[in-house]
Amino acid sequence: MISFALGNQVSANVETVILQVRGPRVLAALVVGAALAAAGTAYQGMFRNPLVSPDILGVSTGAALGAVLGIFLSLNVLMIQLLAFAGGLAAVGLVYWIGARLRGHDPLLALVLTGVVIGTLLGSAIALLKYLADPYNQLPAITYWLLGSLASISPRDLGVAAPLALLGLAPMLLLRWRMNLLALPDDEARALGVDTRKLRTVVVAAATLMTAAAVAVSGIIGWVGLLIPHAARLLVGPDIGRLLPLAMLLGAAFLLAVDTLCRTIATIEVPPGVLTALIGTPFFLWLFALARRSW
Amino acid sequence: MLKVESLAFGFPGRTIGRDVSFSLASGEVMCVLGPNGGGKTTLFRTILGLLASHDGKIILEGKPLDSLSRPEIARSIGYVPQGHSGYFAYTVRDFVLMGRTAHMGIFSTPSKKDFEVADRAVASLGMAHLAGRPITEVSGGERQLALVARALAQEPRLLVLDEPTASLDFGNQVRVLERIAGLARTGIAILFSSHDPDHAFLCAQRALLLAEGRALEIGAPREVIRADTLQRLYGVSVQVLPLAGGGHTCLPAIGG
Amino acid sequence: MRWLVLLSLSFPSIGFCQAAIVDASGREIRPPAKVERVYAAGPPASVLVFAIAPDKLTGWTRAMRPNEAQFFANQYARLPELGRLTGRGNTANVEVVLKAKTDLIVDAGSTGATLASLASQVQEQTKIPYALFDGRIEATPAALRSLGRLMGNESEAQKLADWYENELKQAKQRMSGVAAHPLVYYGRGVNGLQTGGAGSINVEILDLLGARNAAGEARAGLATVSLEQVILWNPEVILTTDPNYWKMIWDDARWRGVKAVAAKRVYLSPNLPFGWFDFPPGANRLLGVWWAGKLLYPQAFADVDLRAKVTEFHRLFYHREPTAAQLDAMLGEPGVLPK
Repeated sequence: MISFALGNQVSANVETVILQVRGPRVLAALVVGAALAAAGTAYQGMFRNPLVSPDILGVSTGAALGAVLGIFLSLNVLMIQLLAFAGGLAAVGLVYWIGARLRGHDPLLALVLTGVVIGTLLGSAIALLKYLADPYNQLPAITYWLLGSLASISPRDLGVAAPLALLGLAPMLLLRWRMNLLALPDDEARALGVDTRKLRTVVVAAATLMTAAAVAVSGIIGWVGLLIPHAARLLVGPDIGRLLPLAMLLGAAFLLAVDTLCRTIATIEVPPGVLTALIGTPFFLWLFALARRSW
Repeated sequence: MLKVESLAFGFPGRTIGRDVSFSLASGEVMCVLGPNGGGKTTLFRTILGLLASHDGKIILEGKPLDSLSRPEIARSIGYVPQGHSGYFAYTVRDFVLMGRTAHMGIFSTPSKKDFEVADRAVASLGMAHLAGRPITEVSGGERQLALVARALAQEPRLLVLDEPTASLDFGNQVRVLERIAGLARTGIAILFSSHDPDHAFLCAQRALLLAEGRALEIGAPREVIRADTLQRLYGVSVQVLPLAGGGHTCLPAIGG
Repeated sequence: MRWLVLLSLSFPSIGFCQAAIVDASGREIRPPAKVERVYAAGPPASVLVFAIAPDKLTGWTRAMRPNEAQFFANQYARLPELGRLTGRGNTANVEVVLKAKTDLIVDAGSTGATLASLASQVQEQTKIPYALFDGRIEATPAALRSLGRLMGNESEAQKLADWYENELKQAKQRMSGVAAHPLVYYGRGVNGLQTGGAGSINVEILDLLGARNAAGEARAGLATVSLEQVILWNPEVILTTDPNYWKMIWDDARWRGVKAVAAKRVYLSPNLPFGWFDFPPGANRLLGVWWAGKLLYPQAFADVDLRAKVTEFHRLFYHREPTAAQLDAMLGEPGVLPK
């Protein structure tokens, strides 16, 4: 097919690489980067805190537990990804369910605290599984999964994860201006005509869906959801109407750049989470130093 | 415009006010006076539908309040809360623009008309020069005015202001009171609370004295604001003095 | 007791008293006069101790699963689970080791400075001598001899060591005439994208057999690679230890272009009761040498009777010959041998 497009002979292997290996990997980097950045943007606005990451309600920890369990039980790739996805959704569902039952507290504070508690609980379950895992075989596999990687993305992975991520991105893009009102105290937002509880639920559901889908195929890639919304906010300000599309673009571009480095910097793969922190942090500090405005 | 009948209000499981009844017509200004903790904010939040009422009725423009949706209420009533600590540096313009939410569809972004209404609201309060400034970088008084502008962007027929002059300097206090009087002249009904009885004299047609959740008296300021009612309300001794031009003012007796 | 040991040290004697040895980490180990109970701190050590004197092994680091236990006599399969000690993942309680009245603690595998200091620490705590041995295949005969000396089973250990040495020599002899050394990729993990770099213990068998490690550019140790990299290397043979990966590779369009997959030269290493290829990294991998030899150099190893090799190894090291049915199951599993 590519031979046809390029007009001359291309070896079968090159075609395989482009369509089956490199292509899905590039697209996955774009989708995962955009999803993480969007989720981070939404949560930073919703929790009124620029230090919030998409994992604040435990989606990454829940997905990690699912995947680690899959590896521990020596399951195949598809099952591991399914468990990761389910784990992410279940963790946030649990946090939300408990948080809603904590009456008499500021709803956001209840969510955050529950998220921290459940995240710690799930983290200790992961630690236990790591401890019990076979150190020659399962433990390295667990470690590599937790470090994150886009190296093994297959067309099938992309075919499942991308629609799910888009399913989460779509409502968020549509509601992006309205999300600004979540930055106001609850009373004010309601007095301005917004059903804050419903809006928050939709935002959390959408963010969780896209983050769980992303983490299920790529493992844990940190910093994108935390730093990219910041960088975007320093460029265009806090209005989520303008901020969200830019954050998604920056997130996609950033992760693609990082993943390209992961692939090319050495024969072996470097975990993307390491590079996102190494590159992202000084870049962000530079941006912060240049910017005149505050958050 | 607004009719409140035998309203009982409070928090879930705790009623803090009872038997409050009054009505407010378009263009009328009513000032609610009372000590801290007397229930002013809770009363306002109940009228806005942010808290469920415990008993009685609230009728807004002829319809019961609990039959209206949040956006419908927001198109009628503009709420100006006390103070505002900005979390994020929205520009004054974007901040005021949030007032247009009730007029927009759920998935919409602001239209040209929304921008125009917001800009007009900002200009009407003399803040056009601040439109591009982040809300976190303007003074307290300007921020208060921005809150008023945001409420005006809702194009409401009733404005509810909770202690709009608290923590403002004297000059800003006067400016806010002037705006209130001016807005009433355009036909908006205004309900505001204050910690200073003089404010009722300055711009209100009616005053409601709220102590421990009960309406002590309701009526024209010069009739209900007297030394004895002020004594009951605040527990301090105050003289109410008539002024040459026809107004009144309160002079507390500070023992020497 | 101590004077007896000191006395025995003054005679370079064999047989009557156990002598001190210097273990693979360079530490001098002085065993007690009689060593009856030996704690093996990890699976490679378990294999060594069990081979030399099965009755002296106090327990396994992990309880045997039924599919592993079938290869051992009942009383050995049911030895208690004592957990691991130092190194990667402690699960043993040092008190448990003490309660089991241990005379000697043995570990085999890597012998770096950290592990040596950990071993010394446990030795200090428990006053039980703690010996470390090199887990590499080529070092196994020497390890067997030293350990035999420590345990007081020198003759048994000597027999095993001599046999093992001979086996390795035979394998190497077969290699001497071979001209073509295939390019081999060892794929670990469920994706097959983890591998062992140059010289790492995971691919020791490849180095031993003179095969070219496709991931030879990578530094020693485990590494993750991308599928594009493997396609670029285009290995002629792929070996793996993960059944999920072996199954997946035939259905996955991305691997189809790789030479090994096209030629159907992708093989799955048996792993019962102890793995043949990569892990546990101990003496058990001798079988992997024969197995990989047959796969990589079919002509040179053509007349090697794998069944006989397995039977003999199990008899000597696991003290029980596998039944014909067990052999069939092991060697007949899809992926183990070419069809």
